[in-house]
Amino acid sequence: MSLILRNWKRALLMIILSGYTAFAAGPFIWVSMMSLRTTPEINDNPYTFPEAFHWEKYAVAWSESDYSVYFWNSAMVTTIAVLAVTIIASMTAHCLARYRFPGNRLIFFIIFSTLIFPPQIVMISLFQVLVKYGLFDTHLGLILVYIALQMPLTVFILEGFFSRLPQDLYDAAKMDGYSNFESYWRLTLPIGLPAIATTVILNFIHIWNEFLFAVVLIASDEKRTLPLGIQKFYGDRLEDVGMIATGVMISVIPVILIYIFFSEKMIQGMTAGAVK
Amino acid sequence: MRITKSPAQVESIQESWGSRLRLDPLHCRWNTVMLFLTPALLIYAAFTAFPVLRTFYNSFHRIIPGGGTTFVGLANFAELFTRDPTFWKAVKNTLLWASVQPCIEVGLGLLLALCLYAKVPFARVFRVLWFTPVLLSYVVVAIIWMWIYNYDWGILNGLLRWIGLADYAHTWLGDPKTALWSCMFTQIWMWTGFNMVVSLAAVSALPAEVLEAAELDNCGWFKKLFFIIIPMIRPTLLNLLILSFMGKMRIFDLVWIMTGGGPLWSTETVATYVYKRAFDWNTFDLGYPSTIATVWFIVVLFFVLTLYTLLRQRDKLEY
Repeated sequence: MSLILRNWKRALLMIILSGYTAFAAGPFIWVSMMSLRTTPEINDNPYTFPEAFHWEKYAVAWSESDYSVYFWNSAMVTTIAVLAVTIIASMTAHCLARYRFPGNRLIFFIIFSTLIFPPQIVMISLFQVLVKYGLFDTHLGLILVYIALQMPLTVFILEGFFSRLPQDLYDAAKMDGYSNFESYWRLTLPIGLPAIATTVILNFIHIWNEFLFAVVLIASDEKRTLPLGIQKFYGDRLEDVGMIATGVMISVIPVILIYIFFSEKMIQGMTAGAVK
Repeated sequence: MRITKSPAQVESIQESWGSRLRLDPLHCRWNTVMLFLTPALLIYAAFTAFPVLRTFYNSFHRIIPGGGTTFVGLANFAELFTRDPTFWKAVKNTLLWASVQPCIEVGLGLLLALCLYAKVPFARVFRVLWFTPVLLSYVVVAIIWMWIYNYDWGILNGLLRWIGLADYAHTWLGDPKTALWSCMFTQIWMWTGFNMVVSLAAVSALPAEVLEAAELDNCGWFKKLFFIIIPMIRPTLLNLLILSFMGKMRIFDLVWIMTGGGPLWSTETVATYVYKRAFDWNTFDLGYPSTIATVWFIVVLFFVLTLYTLLRQRDKLEY
């Protein structure tokens, strides 16, 4: 009797969990289906599997509507910003974790407290500053802002990891004649690679998806990043659902590809700021 | 001739070496520190510290782009507090959003985490699938959910019509009564997986003996949750609540794309209002939106610090 009750409970639990899974993953699967169907097909019945796979829609979206431009803009901005923020923040974290000097904790606290700031507090004045120095509507300006935006969290995560590396390693390196920069370059970076990979993933996702500052700081069409591109595409073709779905998928595919291969690493990266 | 050293001497030599290595005496220290810190400090000064101060400065001025800056004292603040109903509408929406959603999000995330912790089959697959919404950009999420909420062919109305509740079919984002809740629902969909993963990590890190002891004592599921699990992972839950709260206090992207703050300001948030006043309305004044940003900055700071001090655990649990 109790066994039946137990199984029944289990079954109920599984139904609830499957239901939630459909809710969480369903919308995305639905859009990926629509991305392979034409708009007339979707208008006939939005909720069905594709009868014929229209892969050519990806080629059309890519070439006919500036998607290639948006994609490469995003790729370039994201790559440079992630690289730069990784190097700058890891140097800072190494210094704050490794050397004792007056003001160490103060600098850490100042950088850390920035995490609370709502972006609106810098948005308008960054616009003014970038206009003044001719960086408005340039990728360089956007990259610099992204570096500043992602730096606090990156420093915070890396400092936590670097400060737990054993000091003996550094003492030994010093005996072997390593300079301070060498001990950063040849000890901290290789040993800290797992933590650095975590922040690279986090920063990649954040910058790839960033919308607010891109909207404020980019004006011309050929400089748009993907999120702006999709928004424009959506506005231009409101009724052409099939094509918009294809466009949406193009922006999501790089992220999903990485997620399929490195899902654990990616989950770890995205939650790194919240787990302590 | 051999030089012999007493153990004490050796120790003292080692100690002096050690301390020199560890503390790295003054010479070249500032050079090193500066070498490592300069890039970050420059970026921080130029793109965070200066803009923040500039916003404070802006808030006391009227700034016409290309037309100069005039000092207006507290006029912007006076207007904000007394003559701007839209701002207060936005404050109400944002506070409602930021107080309701974190609780739902974290609560649901914790419940789902407990389900997976109960060793159901396919737990790993569930976890990976539930997490996917967080990886999508707000633009993508907004477009998907605008379709879901679509009156004619959206799946929400489709489901309602299918189960015979066609009367409840709705233009979800077009009705001032439901627009805000619809946006909130989308956000819950997006962030529950994130909270689930973090809660699951915290629950899994709990020592098994404590939970087993509770089971031996015939402690019910409900009691176990409220008297053992929640108190023990409280720091994590607090972290999640504050993170979620801060996220909702700055919510822009989703609202901007889904409703643009409408209809009738029913989804206007402080963030979208600042953006509108600065770049979208042709009011040509960057001073007033800066005032809103400054006030909101102080409000956020106040809430986060209060929440943190109120909910913090004074005596840390050891386990």
